[in-house]
Amino acid sequence: MKYFGLELLKLRKKTRSWLGPILVFWLIMIAYPLTIEFSPENLEIGFFSVLWIAILLSMMFATEDIFTEDYNDGSLEQTLINDIPFVYQVVLKVMIHWLLIGIPISLLSFIFSLGTNGNLSLSLLILPFAMMSSYIFLNLFVLGNALSLNKGSVLGAIITLPMALPVLIVLGKSITAIQLEINYSGFIFLLLGSLSIIIVTVPIVVSYIIKAHLE
Amino acid sequence: MKNIIISVDNLSYKINENRLFSNVSFSLCKGECIHIKGSNGSGKSTLLRIILGITSPKKGKINYNIERNISYLGHKNALKSYLSVEDNIKLMGLLNHHELKGHLETLSLKKMLDIKVANLSYGQQKKLALLRVFMNNSNLIILDEPFVGLDKENQNILSSFLNNELQNEKGIIFTSHINCEIISKTLKID
Repeated sequence: MKYFGLELLKLRKKTRSWLGPILVFWLIMIAYPLTIEFSPENLEIGFFSVLWIAILLSMMFATEDIFTEDYNDGSLEQTLINDIPFVYQVVLKVMIHWLLIGIPISLLSFIFSLGTNGNLSLSLLILPFAMMSSYIFLNLFVLGNALSLNKGSVLGAIITLPMALPVLIVLGKSITAIQLEINYSGFIFLLLGSLSIIIVTVPIVVSYIIKAHLE
Repeated sequence: MKNIIISVDNLSYKINENRLFSNVSFSLCKGECIHIKGSNGSGKSTLLRIILGITSPKKGKINYNIERNISYLGHKNALKSYLSVEDNIKLMGLLNHHELKGHLETLSLKKMLDIKVANLSYGQQKKLALLRVFMNNSNLIILDEPFVGLDKENQNILSSFLNNELQNEKGIIFTSHINCEIISKTLKID
């Protein structure tokens, strides 16, 4: 818990790292209605596509320097030699980013959804989808960031972006299922399944990649 | 033999085909200090990183005879420039340490707690980073060029601290090209 608190302090004090992605999300969602003819029908057509892509982009920005800063200032070396397993530290780092960025974005998703379609039950369903997808995207981009640790975050994002496409497809299909009032629970389980695999595997892979970089 | 903290046997390292060092062997006992010397690019820092377990050796092995508990300060200070001195101390997990006040006074950092690290000079940042070493509870201290950036007065503070730690049965391995008054064995790699 001590390490959790310290990591939280680091992110909390670096305002641009957590507020930046939230603002990017907010700006995209604000900008969306301005680009189309302002009627409820038109707004609803592309709203969810824009929402998922906004979450994806925000998570990409959220992980921009998740390890780069620690790598450059030598903190990663200190982290590696202390007695807490490195995998555990990666998990905590991702979780803290999700708590400070993923959760607020998920809540904003609910608000924007409610504001756009006025459907409370649909908007409430968006919340778990946004929470799960933000955590999945975060993990994927963390993997990318680790891969391109000393080569810039853009390269990492490009590498991992294709891995996010299946998640976007599932998100799109689940919204269609919800709107058509057919069984959508399968999509939730699919996302939960992906999430449970990613939660376990990504930190292990990332810790190996970072150790390899530090060598 | 039970006093041995760490023993290094036939350690070799090369980058591609460039051999940095080969067959380096030594052992470090409690209360002993090893000063690693060598020219630029001879692999001093790499040797330290191998001992720390960050880098894998190409050949040879390292045996820790005690619980692995290392205090390390490398070329990079591991400080967060956007945080204040106090927050950095908090990050090091030392804010409630009973020796903090004394060390802050010794290193003239007491009045700088609210200042952002980015606004400190390199020497002041180095002193702040040294707190990690000064308040360690480890049995092995590894330092990579610890005197760089420090003025004579602070170099003496560091030297006397390290000499004290030797009396407390700790082991020290360090690299330095600045002459220092630490009772140490010399290991030359070239």
